[in-house]
Amino acid sequence: MQGYPIGTIVLVIIAAVIYLGLAHRTLDRLYLTDKAALLIIAAMILGSFIDIPITFGGINASVNVGGAVIPLILVLYVLSKAGTSGERIRAVLAAVITAAVIFSINTLIFGDDPWHRGRDFVDPLYVYPLVAGGTAYIAGRSRRSAFIAAFLGVLLLDIIDYLIIVFFNVPGSVNIGGAGVFDALVLSGIVAVGLAEIIGETRERIQGGPAVEGRNEKLLEGLKNKNYSGDRGEDDEK
Amino acid sequence: MKNNRTYRLLTVIVFIFILGLLVFCEKGEFKTAFSINLTGEVNWGVECKPGTYYTIYDQKGNVIEKTSRMVNVGDEFIDEDNNRYSVIKVKGYKAEAELLGREEIVWEVNGQGETDVLGGDFHIPVQRVGVNNLVAVYHTHSDESYIPTDGTQSIPGSGGIFKVGEIFAEKLRSLGMEVIHDRRSHEPHDANAYRRSRRTSTRLLQKNPAAIIDIHRDGVPDPDFYIDNVAGQEVSKIRLVIGRQNPNMQANFDFAKRLKGYLDEKYPGLVKGIYLAKGNYNQDLSPRSILVEAGTHTISRERAQRGIALFAEALPPVLGVSPSPTPFKQEPAGTRGDLAAALFVILSIIIGSAIYLVISTGSIEGAVRKLKQFITVEWTNFFGKRWRK
Repeated sequence: MQGYPIGTIVLVIIAAVIYLGLAHRTLDRLYLTDKAALLIIAAMILGSFIDIPITFGGINASVNVGGAVIPLILVLYVLSKAGTSGERIRAVLAAVITAAVIFSINTLIFGDDPWHRGRDFVDPLYVYPLVAGGTAYIAGRSRRSAFIAAFLGVLLLDIIDYLIIVFFNVPGSVNIGGAGVFDALVLSGIVAVGLAEIIGETRERIQGGPAVEGRNEKLLEGLKNKNYSGDRGEDDEK
Repeated sequence: MKNNRTYRLLTVIVFIFILGLLVFCEKGEFKTAFSINLTGEVNWGVECKPGTYYTIYDQKGNVIEKTSRMVNVGDEFIDEDNNRYSVIKVKGYKAEAELLGREEIVWEVNGQGETDVLGGDFHIPVQRVGVNNLVAVYHTHSDESYIPTDGTQSIPGSGGIFKVGEIFAEKLRSLGMEVIHDRRSHEPHDANAYRRSRRTSTRLLQKNPAAIIDIHRDGVPDPDFYIDNVAGQEVSKIRLVIGRQNPNMQANFDFAKRLKGYLDEKYPGLVKGIYLAKGNYNQDLSPRSILVEAGTHTISRERAQRGIALFAEALPPVLGVSPSPTPFKQEPAGTRGDLAAALFVILSIIIGSAIYLVISTGSIEGAVRKLKQFITVEWTNFFGKRWRK
């Protein structure tokens, strides 16, 4: 940061700390310990500087370690640790629905060329997590599946981009997760979990606590822990 | 179980309702203050097709601004004469703005150096060494072109805008700056262009530039709106665009005001104004990022190139970089905008967290208890042992 005004340094550091702090709280909800979450964030930051070229078929493409590879491993890990197979199916389904909804919004509402359509909806950067968080919550009311749906959903959009470039001969490139820890892939995952958290907490508050009736016994074990339930009002953290 | 279903159904309905409302309120004539509140943080830089554009009138019916960028209630802009307006009504392609007052944008030159008096307390010496003199340039809309010169308004992947960017880069280099001009394509020109250019922007920021500039051109069909004679040259005017809904807005706005202040002094009339638009424009990534519109598609590219070359002259002094380094070293210029933005971010996060904690625990006492738990129990894991009283 040498050569920057002090105010700029303060602003950049604060913004980064807050964003990464939120990222840490998000990873904390994905079957990870605090330390593991911290290590993964460090790995994602370092990995942001590494792009793996995957150019083939004459299309310039790359995949970023911090913005795509590590989060993808995390997604697979979370999927493998899912409480029930139903949760896994719901998460993947939510990802597909997320991609479909975002794609539809981009093409039907924004238009294939926003110049011609001129719809003033929302910044796509925010559409991704809003749709993913909402879809995943509806599909499974799960913060974890919100992360999976957001990441895989936006990843599918990159694959669609790739197909458009190939089949329509568009002079473009696909840099999956190229913005590293600040990429739409990661940002969507983090915000989607936050959104699911807010919807979930608000809904549970309205209904007077988490719904337990008819739920898998294994999933309810955490709620029986007096440290994390009842009148103390804690959520379902470890 | 029935209760559970009811709540699930309720959540679905609320979610669909909110999404539907967002779409509905943003259609055509529903651009009211109400819709702005609904969309809030979430918007982006949509532009009209060339040929359709917004005309903004003042409350006396005079035309004060034209832009192909989508105009929303709440958008603000500073015109050439530093009058600050706020858009209060949008109907079709016509908008009405009210005058908020005059923005103090002044750049004074004195005997010892140049002093920016935007806030009155910032001093920018003319010559420095050791400061960052790297500028990054890229083009989110890599197809944008100029009809009189390029023959079309859009050349996917290699628009005339790249040549405008190259002239800008060359001029900066001639002034002693280092420049990275990224020529990456972000095609297709669609709703995802900023998601793709976000990756370019981040890669450029990894090189640690003092400023990052996304160069576009406008889509207003009236060439007269942009053309001018400045310093004896036929040029196109330059418009600066700041995304007003990201945490760096205040810092970037101050940066834009400094640029305008300097250029108003040196090349009066070159800067058309500063537009504070809804959207992000990836300006959340850096407090020294700015979107520049070099003319419009109906002017010749040469005009745009001459305009952007004059604009480039503002970067070295505003960034506190000297084209010819001298032996003394000082800190580069800071802005109050940086600190104001930092304060905004901190306050937002405190208020947001407080609301979340109250919702999740159901009471203020619960929120306080949870906060205590966070700063004690949560961190014991990190430090390896449990803190006990």
